[in-house]
Amino acid sequence: MTRFLAALLGMALAAGAATASAQSITVALNADIRSTNPGVNRDDNTDAVVLHMVEGLVGYRANGSVAPLLAESVERSDDGKTYSFRLRQGVTFHNGAPLTSADVLWSWNRYMDPKTDWRCRSDFDGRNGLKVEKVEAPDDRTVTMTLDHASALFLDALARTDCGGTAILHKDSLKPDGSWDKPVGTGPFRFGEWRRGEYVTVSRFDGYQSPPGDKPDGMVGAKRTALASVKFLVVPDASTAKAALASGAVDVAQVLETDVPELNKTKTVEAGFFPSTTKHTFLFQTRDPLLGNVKLRQAIAASLDIPQLVAAVSNGEGKPNNSGVPVTSAYYDAVQAKGYAYDPAKAKALLKEAGYKGEPIKIIANKRVHVPSFNAAVIAQAMMQAVGINAQIEVLEWVTQLDRYNTGNYQMMSFSYSGRLDPALSYEQFSGPKDSQPRKVWDDPAVQDLITKASTISDEAQRQAVFDELHKRQMEATPLIIFSNGQEAWAHTKRVQGADPWEGKARVWGARVVGN
Amino acid sequence: MLHFVFKRIAMAVPTLLIMAVTVFVLIRLIPGDPAALMLGDLATPASLADLRERLGLDQSLPVQFGIWFGNVLRGDFGISITSSQPVLPLVLDRFWISARVVLIAVLLASLFAVPAGMIAAWRQNSGTDLFLVGTATLLYSIPTFWLGLLLLLLFGLELNWLPVVGYVSFSEDPRAALLYIVMPVMTLFLHEMGVLIRMSRASTLEVLRLDYITHARAKGLSETAVLWRHAFKNAFGPTWTLIGLVLGNLLGGIAVVETVFTIPGLGRLLVDAIFARDYPVIQGCLLFVAFVYVAVNLVVDLLYPVFDPRVTAE
Amino acid sequence: MKRLSLNVVLGGAIIGIVIAGAVLGAVWTPYDPLKINFVARLAPPGAAHWLGTDEFGRDVLSRLMAAAATSMLISLSTVAAAGLLGTAVGLVSGYARGWTDRILMAFNDALLAFPAILLALGLLTVAGANSSGIIVALGLAYTPSVARIVRGTVLSLREREFVEASRVMGNSEFYTVLRHILPNCVGPMTVLATSMFGWVLLAESALSFLGLGVPPPAPTWGNMLAGSRPFIAQAVWLGIFPGLCISLTLLGINLLGDALRDRLDPRMRGAS
Repeated sequence: MTRFLAALLGMALAAGAATASAQSITVALNADIRSTNPGVNRDDNTDAVVLHMVEGLVGYRANGSVAPLLAESVERSDDGKTYSFRLRQGVTFHNGAPLTSADVLWSWNRYMDPKTDWRCRSDFDGRNGLKVEKVEAPDDRTVTMTLDHASALFLDALARTDCGGTAILHKDSLKPDGSWDKPVGTGPFRFGEWRRGEYVTVSRFDGYQSPPGDKPDGMVGAKRTALASVKFLVVPDASTAKAALASGAVDVAQVLETDVPELNKTKTVEAGFFPSTTKHTFLFQTRDPLLGNVKLRQAIAASLDIPQLVAAVSNGEGKPNNSGVPVTSAYYDAVQAKGYAYDPAKAKALLKEAGYKGEPIKIIANKRVHVPSFNAAVIAQAMMQAVGINAQIEVLEWVTQLDRYNTGNYQMMSFSYSGRLDPALSYEQFSGPKDSQPRKVWDDPAVQDLITKASTISDEAQRQAVFDELHKRQMEATPLIIFSNGQEAWAHTKRVQGADPWEGKARVWGARVVGN
Repeated sequence: MLHFVFKRIAMAVPTLLIMAVTVFVLIRLIPGDPAALMLGDLATPASLADLRERLGLDQSLPVQFGIWFGNVLRGDFGISITSSQPVLPLVLDRFWISARVVLIAVLLASLFAVPAGMIAAWRQNSGTDLFLVGTATLLYSIPTFWLGLLLLLLFGLELNWLPVVGYVSFSEDPRAALLYIVMPVMTLFLHEMGVLIRMSRASTLEVLRLDYITHARAKGLSETAVLWRHAFKNAFGPTWTLIGLVLGNLLGGIAVVETVFTIPGLGRLLVDAIFARDYPVIQGCLLFVAFVYVAVNLVVDLLYPVFDPRVTAE
Repeated sequence: MKRLSLNVVLGGAIIGIVIAGAVLGAVWTPYDPLKINFVARLAPPGAAHWLGTDEFGRDVLSRLMAAAATSMLISLSTVAAAGLLGTAVGLVSGYARGWTDRILMAFNDALLAFPAILLALGLLTVAGANSSGIIVALGLAYTPSVARIVRGTVLSLREREFVEASRVMGNSEFYTVLRHILPNCVGPMTVLATSMFGWVLLAESALSFLGLGVPPPAPTWGNMLAGSRPFIAQAVWLGIFPGLCISLTLLGINLLGDALRDRLDPRMRGAS
């Protein structure tokens, strides 16, 4: 982009950047947010914006473990069923009201009310296994929650970003008639204005009390912000976002992988790749007459030069990972690093053993942006064809592919799972009984037991042993081929520092404006 | 006159009714569940059931239709599944964005193309005619999405005169808005020039062949007088009808131009809604387009007598 | 007439080349149009790849040829489908008249009130975005225009002497339609079919461009053009050649269509 074009775009888009004070930045969203109501009507953009304004009792660290957020400490009873949250002192809501255990109770009751439509209600009312039986507030600063059985994942579920972090809200978030108004939370930013289809603004909450830490760490760590305000600008088109970065109209944006080298050539922009726990995979339907044969699945795995495939879909930046444990996880070590080996000769031998006679194998893929589905499928097809597998690609609309995914109606599919920080949750995403949940790919009762074990015990060494065992079994059974975790391309202008995204979402409380 | 208006409106009612049913049934036949789409791979059977209930998708189709159609009659087009915005304001907002581009382009194209077509007809088979018809056929043969891409390459990337993609509203920054709108308008303008020159030439030729022109010529009227007083005046009527048709068709075809230039217009809204299975928005868009189409044709028909003295509204 | 022959020569030459390319593309292409070659990624036009390669290193010329075959096949089948269905509806409606006519035409007009591309867009998502889905969707979307024209022709013919005569002679309705009315629809139908071929080609490209047409990796001109957008600044040829193919083919069809109209539609003789 030349300067002239940049200037034009600047005039067009930079109204905010030009007029606001120095400590203000503009972040591009590739779609408008769906609501400001945490965990109700949401997508990734919504979570990203909302989590700048609200906080829950606990939050994720970057390595996937859960840390206290509004809580100062969390204690678990010996039987693992009762959690006691001690609230931090001096925390206030955006309206100045102090945070008390009554607010936690109110928020919880609101979430568990079916009328709220909280998307995670079924994870806590027993419908998905776990049930919170009792929530009490023994004093102003203490909340206890009692579960029906011990679980290592209860805190994870509370911290989940798609649940809105189970944010604690003030009653003023609702209108007098009980409907949603705006988030009155405890986050580092307070809600400003939402012009639908155009932008959302938030401004610094001066009364903010940060959790301990010297730098941002996932959703916890140092969260007090130097920024006076942030404008989340809706820029649906990737090429517009790119031009806007070059002109300085936008400071932070997700960009296309293929645009990173070009952006890094410009003087004012810095682009890079940021890992997330998203899993990019090829799923197999193990009930397919053909792919039910483990030898054939192993042959496909051996036919794929995964490092080359990953390099091709991530512009050389991605790191291969065949394990259900994300590379960023505290549980990722030497065992998980041992993945499939590219071995065409072995692939051909396995094909012979499997009795494969050139039957077509259809790979379903979609063409969404920021997801390597189609590109990965095209490359896998070429690699599979090279060893004599008659691979074909069927491109479907994403919604149609989801339908096929949910019903298990496919042979092979290039599919990306959204991020799960805890490995047990990550394995749970693709493992389970196909009879009751056709979308699951790995149907093995022994595996189910292992995952349940990892979900119940809290000892880290014991959990590590379970995850190691799961990895070995997954490599053997090959119900799916995970090829990498997410590598999202983001760029920011050089006037802004510390605006690194987290888990594919913009996170700018640690950002500072260093120049103009 | 009033009788004619009522008759035309009455004729449009069954058309719109059939369309409402067709649209509703058609999009329910599309595979894919909007609730599943919103929850993505995070869906659990329980959360899916909750959401389907909230969106009213758990009701039977006739019940859903009854509710929707009843609301439409009251002017309530429902609420978008994905953005939870009311559909009608959303559609109107986006419509104005599209309409601005389309109206400017068609207006400009008519100003140039209608006289050009008449001249071509008047000088039929001359060099001028050949040139005009040749140019028109060429312009008409280039699809708008490629023409747009070419303009974008030339003025946006090669010469750097105009911003490449995006949209700025006039209320925000009129100057920038104008710059952004130039290329989309130019694309449609060039294409519609091709269409309209051919149409205007054809209708003028037809008039020129009519007996009364021969008669007028035989009366010894000057060629200019024949053309102005008889031919062009009468040729404009049919051309006017065609401009109406062009406007209606453009609303359908604008989606591609909006995709090329990433304009958040009605076409883009519809295509995005189809991808998202946002039933209320798809229904609202299609019904609105059909309504505009019928309305434009109605207005054109009503104004026809103004341009064509041979026809009276009675 | 001078212009007529120019139309025929130019249009015929263009369409001839396109058809030749399509036929050749169906049996032979310089490279496998789906073959990936990462070494030659985004190679500009040159000796090895005359029209360059795309982001997967696939040969653009080979893909254009394969796409020509696909597009021609889709357009022909669609025109045939719409022509047959539309003629059937038009004949029944025009000949039966009365309530049958009124109901059929009410539906027909309602469908006509949608811009065809929108109707196709809706139908396509129902039928599924693949070659047969496109034929079904576009075929149905263009049926109303055919039905309307055939019905008009039938209405104007049925009162004519030779039709009356056939009826008076005791021939069955069916025979009369088949023997006397249908042949007279051929003229206007040919003119319509030619234009329709162009519309369908355009619609198919437009739908592919919107991401709703023939799904990749199988090439069509429309999806090649759509796929070129992210690379347009680095690899201009990816955007130029598919568009050129679409435009030239449409130009050829329009020129031939004009010539055909001049010859077959005496009312329009001399008009463009």
